[in-house]
This record gives sequence, structure tokens and C-alpha cells, in this order.
Amino acid sequence: MTAQVLFKNRHPDRIATLAEYRHSGGYEALAKVLADSSRQQVQQVLTDAVLLGRGGAAFPAGVKLSTVAADAPYPRYVVCNADEMEPGTFKDRVLIHADPHQLLEGICLAGFAVDAHEGIIFIRPEYEGAARILEREIALAEKEGLLGQNILGSGFDFDIIVHRSGGRYICGEVTAQLNAIMGRRPNPQQPPPYPTEKGLWDRPTVLQNVETLCCMPHIVRNGADWFKGLARTESGAGTKIFGISGRVRRPGCFELPMGVRLSEIIENHAGGMAEGSRFKACLPGGASTGFLPAEHYDIPMDFESLKQAGNRLGTGAIMVFDHRTCLVGVTLNLMEFFARESCGWCTPCREGLPVIRELLREIEEGRGKPEYVGVLKEMGRHLWNAYCAFAPGAAAPLESLLAHFADEVQEHIERKACPFG
Amino acid sequence: MIKLIIDNLRVEVPPGTRVIDAAEQAGIMIPRFCYHPALGAVGACRVCAVQVLEGSCRGIRMSCMIEAEEGMVISTTDEEAVAFRRQVIEWLMANHPHDCPVCDEGGQCLLQDMTVSGGHGRRRLPVKKRTHIDQHLGPLVVHEMNRCIQCYRCVRFYREYAGYTDLGVMGSAGRVYFGRRSDGVLESPFAGNLIDVCPTGVFTDRPSRFKGRYWDFERTPSVCIHCSLGCRVTVNTRYREVVRVEAAHDPQVNGWFICDRGRYGFPYASSPQRPRSARIDGRKSGVDEALDEAARRLSGIAQRHGSGSVALAASGRVCLETLGALTRFGSEKGWRGPFFRAGPRTAEALQSASKNLEEKISISLKDIEKSDFILLVGCDPVNEAPMLALSVRQARRRGAVVALADARSVQLPLDARRLALRPSQLTAALMRFAGKAVADGGAALSDRARGFLQACRDSRVDPAVDEQIDHLGLAARESRRPVVVCGTSAVAPDTPAAAANVARLLAAEGRKAGFFPVLPGANALALGLAGRTADHGAALREALEKGDVRALVVVETNLSELGFSADDPLLENLEALVVCDCLDSAAGRAARVFIPTQTVFEAGGTFVSAEARVREARPAFRGGTPVAQVSGGGHPPRTFSPDIPGADPLPAWQVLAALAREGTRVSADTLRKALPAPLCGAAPGKRLALPASAPDAFQPPEDPATAADGGLEVVVCEHIFGSEPLSRRAACLQELESAPRLGLHPGDAAALQLSAGQRVAVDCGRGVIEGEIEIVNEMARGVLLVPRLRGIDWHAAADGPLVVAVADIRSVKPNGES
Amino acid sequence: MLPENLKKELQDRIAAVDHPRELVVDVLFALQAHYGFVTDEAVEEAAGLLGMTPMEVDEVATFYTFVYRRPVGKYVIHVCDSVICWLEGGRSLQEYLSQKLSIAPGETTADGLFTLLPVCCIGYCDRAPAMLINKKVYGPLTPETIDQLLDELREAH
Ligand SMILES: Cc1cc2nc3c(=O)[nH]c(=O)nc-3n(C[C@H](O)[C@H](O)[C@H](O)COP(=O)(O)O)c2cc1C
Ligand code: SF4
Ligand code: SF4
Ligand code: SF4
Ligand code: FES
Ligand code: FES
Repeated sequence: MTAQVLFKNRHPDRIATLAEYRHSGGYEALAKVLADSSRQQVQQVLTDAVLLGRGGAAFPAGVKLSTVAADAPYPRYVVCNADEMEPGTFKDRVLIHADPHQLLEGICLAGFAVDAHEGIIFIRPEYEGAARILEREIALAEKEGLLGQNILGSGFDFDIIVHRSGGRYICGEVTAQLNAIMGRRPNPQQPPPYPTEKGLWDRPTVLQNVETLCCMPHIVRNGADWFKGLARTESGAGTKIFGISGRVRRPGCFELPMGVRLSEIIENHAGGMAEGSRFKACLPGGASTGFLPAEHYDIPMDFESLKQAGNRLGTGAIMVFDHRTCLVGVTLNLMEFFARESCGWCTPCREGLPVIRELLREIEEGRGKPEYVGVLKEMGRHLWNAYCAFAPGAAAPLESLLAHFADEVQEHIERKACPFG
Repeated sequence: MIKLIIDNLRVEVPPGTRVIDAAEQAGIMIPRFCYHPALGAVGACRVCAVQVLEGSCRGIRMSCMIEAEEGMVISTTDEEAVAFRRQVIEWLMANHPHDCPVCDEGGQCLLQDMTVSGGHGRRRLPVKKRTHIDQHLGPLVVHEMNRCIQCYRCVRFYREYAGYTDLGVMGSAGRVYFGRRSDGVLESPFAGNLIDVCPTGVFTDRPSRFKGRYWDFERTPSVCIHCSLGCRVTVNTRYREVVRVEAAHDPQVNGWFICDRGRYGFPYASSPQRPRSARIDGRKSGVDEALDEAARRLSGIAQRHGSGSVALAASGRVCLETLGALTRFGSEKGWRGPFFRAGPRTAEALQSASKNLEEKISISLKDIEKSDFILLVGCDPVNEAPMLALSVRQARRRGAVVALADARSVQLPLDARRLALRPSQLTAALMRFAGKAVADGGAALSDRARGFLQACRDSRVDPAVDEQIDHLGLAARESRRPVVVCGTSAVAPDTPAAAANVARLLAAEGRKAGFFPVLPGANALALGLAGRTADHGAALREALEKGDVRALVVVETNLSELGFSADDPLLENLEALVVCDCLDSAAGRAARVFIPTQTVFEAGGTFVSAEARVREARPAFRGGTPVAQVSGGGHPPRTFSPDIPGADPLPAWQVLAALAREGTRVSADTLRKALPAPLCGAAPGKRLALPASAPDAFQPPEDPATAADGGLEVVVCEHIFGSEPLSRRAACLQELESAPRLGLHPGDAAALQLSAGQRVAVDCGRGVIEGEIEIVNEMARGVLLVPRLRGIDWHAAADGPLVVAVADIRSVKPNGES
Repeated sequence: MLPENLKKELQDRIAAVDHPRELVVDVLFALQAHYGFVTDEAVEEAAGLLGMTPMEVDEVATFYTFVYRRPVGKYVIHVCDSVICWLEGGRSLQEYLSQKLSIAPGETTADGLFTLLPVCCIGYCDRAPAMLINKKVYGPLTPETIDQLLDELREAH
């Protein structure tokens, strides 16, 4: 068993209690910074720890916190992104169910680091159970003086509320999420201004993923070097929650060192490939990453290595496909998802994705024409010029399908049928 | 200035210019759907993509979303940029119907242009088109949602720019739908602009539906004459008929938009009821004969009773040329007038507004958008000068404070601080405001200005509102660009002068202060400058009663505006009533001699707008009865004649020349030159430089708190639809008129024991106004609101806010009995 | 019409926040729970409570998957049709549900009990194929578990 940090208190059948969390060192980080640290120190240790955003974009969290200017106006907000709507991704749900106070402490620490006094957990409606857990645990923490007014007698106030989404994938995107919280249509909004300057209600707002926030108490308590040391590779830092699903024997969530090999995750943790299955490809980090073909079966799973391979670690949600899976079908399904969930703001996404989906459907159902491949390539390239990162996310599986599995596509067209039946 | 290179051309633009605009300045028109200069850039359509070769953001970028940078190099012809733009068009066309031949936008459609110019001509996509259900949005705008390319311009205009709430975007992804929550008439009186802003055929013009293509129309630059703002418009005519009016861009005045009164007010010009032939004593005649006969009668009367027994009546509708003719021939002939406005109060209000509009404080609608404090006094922008409301809204969006002092419950598409005041309270309130708005000392001020400031500080108002006014004054202290906007109908006679003085005072302090009057009619400013205050409807009435006036020449004027009723018995005292008009009016029907005049679409004309800007309308077509009417609706016309049928009407100024026996060959230019300075120098496009008139040493008016005790001040309220004489003839606008009701404050209604829906008769001395009571919450106490709408005989109260005693108000049964 | 106690409860919640608009989804959910779905009237009531215009509320209401602007059954079945569930046979399960309930996706059973709505990944890919019934998750599903579930729900009713 590798070092369990975020999952230290995870039980198969129940959530960790506040007492358990505290017993394992929980809220010590908060007590420590409230007692003797400055905001800058907290920002610095996170920067030094190279804590990269776990929500998909891999932006350094410490750097983000430090972009809230010291003289920025109040109130300031911390938003915890628990939208997690990207297909294949469920780690944030597991984290909340495992040890909710770890997240609450993380939010509070981020709040301290930017001198915010309100945290908002934005959660998808499918996670109503998790939302209730959080509300219950927030109340408990308040009772113990760990949240709310005058936390641990330090004079620092911090409240956390749970904000339920109405449910749309685009709400996971930072600026769309802020609009959603403000009761507006959740269309994204290109910066400038940046949310850390003018976010919620035009006030500085820091938005981080659940997992990113969960890392914070541990880094603050144990230091940057410790965190970096957790990783298996030089280029990585910390552990990562990998959510693995698809054609493996034991789908689930595993906390493993950053940089662990893909093969190791599949074989040692997910119980190997499913009965009679051979690895063909995976999406290494959610629906908006590209197909990683079998030649990368041993790749170290960290941000840098995947970048080298022309892919992305994304959210670390690994979707495994076997030799019997039709990747045209997979891509068609993904395009259906993206087309349905587009916010409808810009042309490439709103109009392009349904067209791409239809072209793939034609191919999948045996009506594909040879020229469609070229059209799809062009359109995939043009998706990159959309308004926000949603459509480029959709381009990733499409383009990698055409690049790495051109034969499979071709076979559909030539046979006028899906070779996988 | 910033220097950059676009397609190998050197371009210099001011900092902050968007690349799309920089390119346009260099003559390179980058495609766009969502970008609109008035609505800003939102980066939604992605069709304006360019390649940034040098600059801080290299790569494919949206030219509407990036600003020009020093040393930037842009290519619009870059292969990838072109390919991407072409892709955007293909995607949009994937769902857009291919039925341009039955779309009214065809020929005037940005999507059509882009599709053709982008070279997209072959469909290679095996996808079905999505469809939507259209909505019925009322008599003005047609909705065909399938044509939508989701540029969001409509909602951005309707909600953000114009401030109305009943149109929006619903749904997500490819399902987004632009419309109302359910079918129904669009609530915004600026809804017609949707037609112009929508780049495709989702929103098209209902009245002109299927009447022709863009290229079928003769398009003429013109000016709207349905209020005093003088918005620039483009007039589309076909087959001797005005078919459609569109907004024309004027950066200083209306920007890109116009109101629906201005857009849809034109049908009077081709109405089948429009009088097209002359009449003598009720019999049709040739125009020459009628002119001869009228001239003969007028000179006979002049000989018998003196030239002063012939009087002229005019209104804000007459153009500068006609006003020149009235002035010149009136003085040459010794005729009286022109008489205008109903009586001393409204006449003084108009003149105090006009004569005080000196250059230093005169501002444009554009300036209002940039101001940081706007005080609206006795004016109802949406109803009296609609586009003013949008300008005020733009200022508000930028953070300006907007305050409103009025007797009515003025509705604005923005939030404003409200002071409900009777007209008689406005002057004192304005002055008290000014006393507070000027920080102590006023050391930099001249003696005169200090005198005025002192008078302001001595000014007393109703204690119920003084605190609010003081607050407002203090709020205005910080402002750098304060503006006072003042009406001329629901005010005391001296209010406009006070408003101008307040602006002068603020300007004297070194701020960029402005005064903007709202006037009754497209050319009211000129009338106010050229006419005499004493020549008003009440004076005319007196002269008629005394028998001093025996002949009346009514030029393009509705006599109700002079306080006469349709069947006023006094008119029977006249030996000759000569009416020259393009409208079918009561006076016209009663005339001994009637001479049809041309509309602005045929004659053209020059007008001076409320901001002293000279506006020119060019003749849009030669006149004559619309082909459709002559041919009984069939096409092509089957009636042939060497002349244009129905082309008898003459420009009013020619009619006047003929009446003065000067022949009709007089030139419009010389007539304008006959006007007093500065009107004689009016050059189209320029603003008149009105001479400075020193601030009067104002005495604050009597404490007005008691003025209305025991009575109500009657305020005639103009409505955007149904009040203005020309546009109220448009059938499509008639559907939008409000119900005519007399408005009372709930407190007054209770005191008078009147309730909503009850009918009352109000004796205004000169006539009785009858109507149903409506309880209006936000209006001032001590006021009775009388709508200037059909069904209400408002003329008896036409001379501004007169006071009626409670005893003069009695309730009546629906059939009119007491 | 909203019952007074619900109205009061919402008003209190709204009064407690700085920006009422941020509660728009919560208020819509509450009205949805009350009316069964978000009726036109509910949109207007929400607008009134939140100080928004009905159009603004509808712009938001029509955006979201879990805000129902049309009538739905007592049990809303959100069956996942995204990639992992699809891989694990979700499509045939959805067909099974359709057949069993005799409704097409998007429809409600004649007795008003069930509405079937295919949705995107519900975040339970580790339990694929999965679905939610009134926001409660079920998975991995088989025809048998579906039979059992539907029977239980019918009985509970
Ligand atoms: C379409 C789209 C959906 C996203 N969804 C999520 C999400 O559900 N959860 C999340 O944490 N980040 C999501 N992101 C990434 C966020 O925009 C953002 O980068 C992240 O939440 C920031 O937090 P982090 O730096 O802690 O990762 C999404 C981005 C896009 C473009
Ligand atoms: S890419 Fe465009 S349409 Fe898609 S989610 Fe982003 S802004 Fe909306
Ligand atoms: S209706 Fe017209 S203006 Fe509105 S989004 Fe569609 S195309 Fe654009
Ligand atoms: S605001 Fe006045 S001038 Fe402008 S379009 Fe409307 S009616 Fe015409
Ligand atoms: S015009 Fe620039 S994105 Fe639409
Ligand atoms: S794909 Fe079905 S729950 Fe994720």
C-alpha cells in the first residue's frame, strides 16, 4: 500500500467523523496558520509544493492565491469546485464522502491565504448526498469553533455554504460557475478581468477543485518538500486520486503517488483488465483528454509526462477501453455529451459539435464517406478557436481518434459497418 | 496614436481601438455577426477571426476581442483564418434554412453576404436542420426563430442597451431560443431596432412584410419628424409609397437606433384618407384654382378689415422652409402670427427653453450618454422624446445618477431617483437643488451668477420633499458632467429658463454642464426662436372673439394644439378658413379652402432639433397616390395616364408663396434666409450657435405649496403612441395605444371620493374633459393627468398645467349624464 | 399559489443573503418540489421572491438539466447514457426501461409515476451502468435490479 494522504481516513462503508479527522492531524494546519502564519507564507508553501490544480487545468494553486492583491477589495470569496461533471470523473465525490472535513479545512486555509471570509462549495445536483453530508459537517465544525466566527479564538471568521447547481457540465468552468452562483446564465466569460481580481459580485474570488483544496491542509502541516517527495517522479508533486473505470476488473478511486505508471494502476490497483480484455487505449484524465494508445501503457501518470505524450493528465479520471471497444463509438458517445452540454454561446461548440457527432454517427452506422475524415479533422482543429476551453476539450478525443486510430475509422467506412458489431 | 499593420497596410488608431474597428478604418471589413459597435464585443460568433502575426497574443484571434497594440501585425487573409471563418459560416448554415427567396431579410442579410462572400455554396454535411416554433410578437416585428444564428445581439440590445425585460434567451446548447416567455406584444417601444440589429431574418418588419427587396427600394437619407430629437433615418420607398423606415447611424444623435414611433409613424403619407386634392367650399378643385381663390379671399379680407385681420397658425411640424415662408410672407403682407402653442403658459415655456439654449450649455444626446448626473425636470423621455430615454440609460449604465422631478409617474427603462412634484413646484425645486449642488462660496462666479445662486439658496419648497432635493443637490456636487433635461409641457412657464440657468451656474463653476430641452415638435426650437411669445392660441381666440381676425391660414397644424376643439364655434366667426395640410384633420374638413401639402417624404425639408442641430430630410420620392391604391391592389398597375395620379400636393412653403401671390417658384434656400438669425444661417448637419443670453436674475417663485390648494393642476400627458399627430394615424401603432384614462393620485382620489374606473367630467373653463379615472401610485398629489389620446378631449387643457377647482370635477354616468 | 409556510421559508432564506439572485436555483428546486415541476406560475413566483424579472428566472430555469419546466412523473429516472455506462451496456438497459415502462425517453408513464430522462454521466462511473431516481443513485444495474426497483417504487406508492 502506498502512502495514503487524502484517503488516510477513508472507510469502505462510512464517512470519517470529525473526531477521526482531528485525531489524524486534521485542523492542525488551520490552527497553526491562524496562530503564527501570514497569508503570504501559506501562499508560498503551496507554491513551493508545486500543487497543480486537480480540476483539469493544472494551474499552480499557490500562484493563483497570490494573484489576489493585498489591497484588493472585500468581501473576497473562495469557491470550491465540486461540479465534477466530466464523464469518467468521480474522485471529488469519493473525497467528500471519505473525509469531508479535509475539504472544509482546505477551503478555510485557502480563505485565510487570501483573507476571504466566505467559502462556497458549488456542487452538482447528482451529488445531493454529498451536499447534505457537507452541510451537516459544516454545522459540526462550526459548533467546535473550527468554522464560523472567531475560529479557534484567532479572530478569523470564515463561513462555508453549499451551493447546489441546476446541473450542466459547463458550470464546472470557472467563469461559468461564477455566473451560475450569481444566478445568471452560466455562460463563460473570457478574462480580463480575472476572477481573482473581479469574480463573484465583482469581488476577488479564488476557485479551486475539491482535490486541490484537500491537499492544502497536508501541505501546510507537513511542508512543501514532504509533498513533493510523495511523487514518484521528479516532475510530479504529491499524490493523485485516480478514478479508474471502464474495462478493468475493479473500477474505483485510488490515491497513488503522482507519476505512478498507468500499467501499475491498472494491474495492481484496478485488478487488471476485465475478463478476456486486452488494453487498447484509455482516456487518461476525463472526457476532454485524448486517447492514449497502448504504446503508452507504461507512462508515468503526471502532468508533465502526459504533456510530453501530447496528452493531458486532466482530472486523472482514467477510462480504459479494451480490444473489443469501438473507439468510433466511444468518440460518438463523447460528442453526444459535449454537444448536449455546450452552453450555446459560441458557434464552434454549439454548431460544430452536433455536426461532428452526426458525421461520426454516419461513420459508426456504416454510412460514412471517405471525405468525412478530412472534414472531421478540419472541424476538430477549428474547435480550438472556440470561446472557452469546453470545445477544445471535445477536440481532444476526436483529434486523437483520427490521429491514432485512423485505421479503425477507415475500416468503418470501407466495411460500411462497425467492425465491432 | 497606436501604429499597427493590417494586411500590409499601415494603420493608426487611438489607444483602445479594437482590431476589427482599426481594420474597418483602413477599409478592410472583417466579417462579424455578434459584434456591434453599440452593443460591444462578446466573442460569441467567432466569424471575425484573424491571424495575429506579431503582438502579445499571436495566433488565431477574434478581432473584436483584441485591442490594437503598437507594432501589431495582423493578417485577415491568412490561410488558417480564412479557413476558420469559412468553417464558422458552414456550421451556421448547417442549421440555417435555405429559403432566402421567402425571407424578408434577403438582400439585406449579413449571413447571406457572408455565406456568398465566404464562398460557401455546397452542402457537404449529412445533418438535419433544427427547427423552432415562432412567436407572435405584436404588430411591428415578425419572429422566425429558425433563421437564428445565435449572435445574442437581440438580447444584448433589448435587455442591456434598452433596458426592457420581456425578451431573452432560453435553453442551452443548440436549443437556445431567443424570444419571449410566451407569445405576446413586445413591451419595448424600441423593439423595432431588433430588425436592424438582428443580422438575419429572425426579426423582420411586419408592416412592410413582402413588400419588396432592399434593392427594389429607393433609399433616402432623411430625418424623423415625430419628436424634437431629429433622429436620422433611412426612408425606403417603392411604387410611390413609403414602405419602411430604418435607423440611420448618427454618432452624435441617435447612434444606431430609433424608436418605434419614428420607425412606424410614416403610414399617414400613403393613407387612403390622405387628402390629395384641393377643395373650395367643399367642392374638389384643382390646386391652382384653390390657391387663386384662397389668395383672392385673403386679400379681399385684408382690404376690408386691414391686413392684420389675416392670421397664420403653425406647429412644430412645419419645416424651416415653411417657417421661412410664414415669416417672410407674413411680414410682407402684414398678416399676424404665426400663432403656435395653446396659450401663454406653453408659449412661454417653449420660448424660455429655445432662447436659453446657448451654445455653451447646449449638448447632444451623445453628451448625455457621457454625463454623470442627469436631472430630468418635467419631461417624460419615453413618451415625449423616446431616444432620450436610451441615452439616459447609457449614462446610467456607466454609473451616472439619474433623478426625475415630474408630476407624472414617468416610466423609464432604468432606475432613477424620483421626486413627485406638481408643475408649479418644479422651478423652486430646481433652484433649491442648484443651491445645494454648488459647493459653498462659489468664489469663481460672476456677480450675476452669484445673485442667481443666492436666489437658489433662498428658494423654498414643500417641506415634504426638501430633504430629498437637498440630498440630490449634494449628490450632484461631485459630478463633472451634470445635465439638466427639461420639458415644456408639464412644467411651469419659467421652469425651462430656470433649468438653463442652473446649467449655466454649474458650468460657471467650471464643470461641463449641459441643458437639454424637450420640445413639442420636430421644428419647435425654430418656432420658439422665430415666433413671438404673445402669438399663441389663447391670443388668437381673443382676436377671433373680438373680430380682429377674420381669416385664418392654418399650415400643417392641428388646431387642438392651439387649444381649439374640432368643432370650435369660434371658427365659424371666420370669413375664411384656409387649411394647408397633408393630414385629414377636422380643421381641414371645416376649411373654406383646403390645399393639400406634401409630406416630408415628398417635399423634404430642414428641421432644427432640440439640440439645435440642423437636420435635413431629402425628398424620397416625387409623390402621388401609391400605385397599389391606384391599381386597386393589382400588380402591375393597369391604369395609365401621362400624369402622376394624386400628385397635386405642393410643399407648404410653395402654397404660402402662392397665397401671398408670389408664385410657386420661390426657392427653399431664400425662404430659410428670410428667417431671423441664427436660423437664417442654418446649414444641414451643423448645430446652430445660439447667442448667449445672460442668466436672468431669478426670483424664486412664490411658495407654491399653496398654489393648488383646493384644486388640481391639470397636466396633459403625451404618449409615445397616439399623441403625435402624424404617427397616430399608423394602424400598427394604434394597436399599441394605451387606454385613455384620467390619472389621479390615490390620496386625491380618496379625498375626492373617486375610484378607479369611475367617469368624471372636469370643467376646464374652455371645455369639459371627460374620462375614466385611473389611480396612479407614483404621481404627484394635487395633479390630474389627462392623456393626449383619442377618446379624450384634451385640448381644453392644452395650455399647460392649469388649475381646476375641486368643484369643477364631478362624476358622470357612462352615458354622460351627471 | 404558494402555501404561506413555504413562501415564508423562502423569504427568510432570501432575506438572509446579500444577493438574493444566488438562490435562484434553490428557489426553483423548492418550487419544483412543491408543484412537481417548475410551472410558468412558479417562474413568476420565483422572480417575485428574488427580485428578478420572470424572464431572467426563465433564462436560468431553462438552462439546467434538473430544473423541469414541463410536467414530470413522481419518480424521475435519470439514466446515464455517457461513455462508461454505454460501455457497460447502458444502452440496452435504457431500452429495457423504456420497454418496461412503455415510454420513450423524455416521456412520462400514463399513471404519472415515472419519467425517463437520459442524462450525461452522473459521476458514478465506478458503478456503471448507473441511474438516478429522484437524485438517488442505483448501480451497477441489471434487468433484474431494475425490475426489483420499479416494483418497490410502485408498491411504495
Ligand atoms: C468545460 C469545463 C468544465 C470543467 N469542469 C470542472 C469541474 O467539474 N471541476 C473542476 O474542478 N474543474 C473543472 N474545470 C476546470 C476549471 O475551469 C478550473 O480550471 C478548476 O476548477 C480550477 O481549480 P484547480 O486549479 O484547483 O484545478 C472545467 C473546465 C472546463 C473548461
Ligand atoms: S466553447 Fe463556446 S459554446 Fe462551448 S461552452 Fe465554451 S463558450 Fe459555451
Ligand atoms: S435572433 Fe437574430 S439577433 Fe438574436 S441571436 Fe438570433 S440571429 Fe442574433
Ligand atoms: S426619438 Fe423622436 S426623432 Fe427619434 S425616432 Fe423616435 S420619434 Fe423620431
Ligand atoms: S464578431 Fe467577433 S466573435 Fe462575433
Ligand atoms: S458514464 Fe455513467 S455515471 Fe459516468
